[in-house]
Amino acid sequence: MFVNRIAAISLVVASILSPTSACAQETALREVVDREIKASWTKEKITPPVKASDSVFLRRIYLDLVGIIPTYHETATFLKDTDPKKREKLIDTLLADPRYARQQAQVFDLAMLGRKNRLVEGTVGYRNRGRFREWLGKQFAANEPYDRIAAKILQAEEDGSQLYFAVNRDTDEMVTSVSRFFLATQIQCAKCHDHPFEPWTQKDYYGMAGFFVRTMTVDVPGMPEVTNQKGSKYLVGERTIGEALFAIEEVDPKTKKKKSIPIKPKFLSGEELKEPEPPMGFVEPKLKSNELPPKPAFSRREKFIGWMTAKDNPFFAKAAVNRVWAQFMGRGFVHPVDDFNQKNEPSHPALLKAIESAFVAQKYDLKWLIREFVNSEAYQSADLGAVTDAMPRYYERARIRPLSVEELTASLHLATGLGLESALKAEPSKDMLQYLGEPADGQGRFQGSLSEHLFLHNGDQFRGMCRPNKGNMPEKLMMSTEPWEAKVDRMFLSVLSRPATSEERERFVKYLNVDAKDAKMAAQRMEDAMWVLVSCSEFRFNR
Amino acid sequence: MLSFHANNHLDRRSLMKGLLTTAGGLAVANWGALTHSQTIAQEARRSGKRCIMLYMEGGVSQIDTFDMKPGRPTAGPFLPIQTNVNGIQVCEYLPNIARHADKLAIIRSMRTQSVDHGIGGYHMHTCYPSSQRFPHPEIGAMVAKYCENPDNDLPSFVKIGSESGIYGAGYLGPQFEPFVVSDDGRLPGFANPSVSPEIQDRRGELLNFMEQRFAQQRPGDPFAAHRTSELRTIRLMRARRTFDVSEEWTRARSRYGDSNFGRACFTALKLVEAGVSFVEAAHGGYDGHNDNFPTHKANLQVLDPAWASLLQDLQERGLLRDTLVVWTSEFGRTPAINFQAGRDHFGRAWTIVLAGGGIRGGQHYGASNRDGFEVQENPVNEGDLFATIYRTMGINHRVRHYLGARPIWATPEGSRPIQQLLG
Repeated sequence: MFVNRIAAISLVVASILSPTSACAQETALREVVDREIKASWTKEKITPPVKASDSVFLRRIYLDLVGIIPTYHETATFLKDTDPKKREKLIDTLLADPRYARQQAQVFDLAMLGRKNRLVEGTVGYRNRGRFREWLGKQFAANEPYDRIAAKILQAEEDGSQLYFAVNRDTDEMVTSVSRFFLATQIQCAKCHDHPFEPWTQKDYYGMAGFFVRTMTVDVPGMPEVTNQKGSKYLVGERTIGEALFAIEEVDPKTKKKKSIPIKPKFLSGEELKEPEPPMGFVEPKLKSNELPPKPAFSRREKFIGWMTAKDNPFFAKAAVNRVWAQFMGRGFVHPVDDFNQKNEPSHPALLKAIESAFVAQKYDLKWLIREFVNSEAYQSADLGAVTDAMPRYYERARIRPLSVEELTASLHLATGLGLESALKAEPSKDMLQYLGEPADGQGRFQGSLSEHLFLHNGDQFRGMCRPNKGNMPEKLMMSTEPWEAKVDRMFLSVLSRPATSEERERFVKYLNVDAKDAKMAAQRMEDAMWVLVSCSEFRFNR
Repeated sequence: MLSFHANNHLDRRSLMKGLLTTAGGLAVANWGALTHSQTIAQEARRSGKRCIMLYMEGGVSQIDTFDMKPGRPTAGPFLPIQTNVNGIQVCEYLPNIARHADKLAIIRSMRTQSVDHGIGGYHMHTCYPSSQRFPHPEIGAMVAKYCENPDNDLPSFVKIGSESGIYGAGYLGPQFEPFVVSDDGRLPGFANPSVSPEIQDRRGELLNFMEQRFAQQRPGDPFAAHRTSELRTIRLMRARRTFDVSEEWTRARSRYGDSNFGRACFTALKLVEAGVSFVEAAHGGYDGHNDNFPTHKANLQVLDPAWASLLQDLQERGLLRDTLVVWTSEFGRTPAINFQAGRDHFGRAWTIVLAGGGIRGGQHYGASNRDGFEVQENPVNEGDLFATIYRTMGINHRVRHYLGARPIWATPEGSRPIQQLLG
């Protein structure tokens, strides 16, 4: 009763605030999604895909929302469940699961900082990256609105949030990264020349740089639990003065070098920043190497954050919804997700617009957005069909993406029966990061490598986990008196989240049974069979 | 018998390769993976050319090798000797190479920017400065991508030893990462089968069964790429003996010199003969800040028989026309001799040598000035050198790739192949 009243009130509030949001309340976003996607199938004469089977959906939704395959019991329970609303219910359960925040944090961290990005010294290692992920995780656990999360990353004041600026340490990197990640705009080309096919000029680039030129990161000694490899943590501050300098063609007769002129900060939407003059006769205090300047009375970066997260910002919300859509659907309406430009038309412009408006009306609620996406029929399409593209343009088949090493490590632990707790604690090994960490080319297309497969074949990790050992599933199966058919089913349900087909059951039972009398040989065959299940494409990819 | 999924892309070669043999002699289907469109595209582009890069780690001195300055204050103690080409002289410690000067194109006007080891190594492997913080692929990866033979059982890009640095395949992707073996050609630990051939076969067969069933309604590119690399891995494990040259080495040793580098050159020969597109072999220890001359003398005496025998053998086996041999380094060394009888890092006027692969040999290109401090004519930068190599290999030196939305070219804007060196 009480809950209902709140819902009613918020509905009223929403309709007062904005007529479009009232509209969005009437037609759930998931229905808008399906209407538009189906319309594009009709237009493109595409045979609509069938719905994904329960087991395909189950594995997909677990990997997408919580970053790990389901356990044997979760699988068995879901497949048995006859409730027609079981998918919707499972989605709600997973969105409320603490693993949801952990997974979102991993996805955002990698999208923002990359796998191999270098700090000034050393790479973004697991230790300091862990801090950033932890901080991100808190935001997602509390379902902080996306505009708040973005603002806090750029404010860089909360413990753990500073890694973004620690990695993007100089002005050019800040400009490039902020405009790509948060605004989906490639302005960095305009640093050296006016953009060849976009309206961006060098003045725009240096205008944007003006907001960040005063920002600086320092390393200070930190408590052991918050430090990087060198025992430092990062702090981010801002100077009171400092301008983005733009070298012009004119040569200074004294220095014989090209003259530089300061460029006033200018937003990408065109207007210049109005700012007070710095205090009369202000001199920036001399700083020690790991010291931040005093907080400025007027912060350009704050002004930028205000502009970026304003409701009517023409870049921000669009970039966000396109990115989240791509996270679950494979391809953004605009692809790649960080390159909105006049020549890169969205595949479904009306739908993108509708999602953007609804997201702003919902106050940048990410969990709501994700819930609507994954409840759509479009998301729940089958993994079958003739199209070969990993990310079909019209979403006529589910996208195919390799498991990240984090997902792979956790899923491998779970699949081999080491338990959920150990699976969630396991960090990817150095070898896993090296051989399976970045399995794509510069455009994100999956490429297998010799190293990956040599590692699967001969490295200790996969084999070690498949070998009957220390209470893992292969050992339990070896000791169990269950019939072989039941054992094989348990293996398939645990690793591939589906029962074996009768053909597979027969084949595996036969394989496992050959040396059944000889314990050592039988154990080897168990290891082989497990190895096959964790090495095949069906395990490697989320589809 | 194993069924074969009909496919529009199927051609004769793929059909022949339809069945592969594993370590224990078992036939496995190739799942139609070699008909994968990307693979076909590569095949169409492949030129059949190969490249061996001999990389002198530490910075090799041009004045003590190919750009000698007899009688000048910068000369140093080494003397020049005549070669089999009139007008070309080389250092007295390169007597074997002197007999192959007709094959050499000696570029004496290298002017390069990055004169410290880390950044120089990066620049001379990618032709871009590392300060761009961009994942440029190293040259071996680019050659592998455009010249590899997808039918070959061996990796397309092999590094013997890692002294010259591993810069990686960058935006070209992990398929073109270098396969690094140790100086004596030993494979990395995990390339050796962990289970017996019998087990490898039977579990391979089971995997094959799973993959075939899975692929029937799922023609997705990533699955095909995954299966292709699995196949290549099986083929590599089967062919891994190619890397072990010990038996023939006992006979070749006296000609190549009994050194790691000699053996690396011999292994490189065997690998290009077996169809590997790019092999890099490093020779370490040229960084002569102190006592440059004894260091260089010792190194050159190792280098000379190895490099010369490699050229000789390539020629005798009819491979030299299609195999480019590059002799390079991260930079040269100062003409001025410092107070510790050393030479320091130098990028303003130094020497790189090309041979084979259709390069016109028996000539100098460019020149340094009298004492070797500056380029006197025809300066060549990193991009020009790479453009020349790529042109020789049949690769468009301005081929464009993308990192996300950003376009990137194989060589920087303005890079030009040196026409005079192209045959």
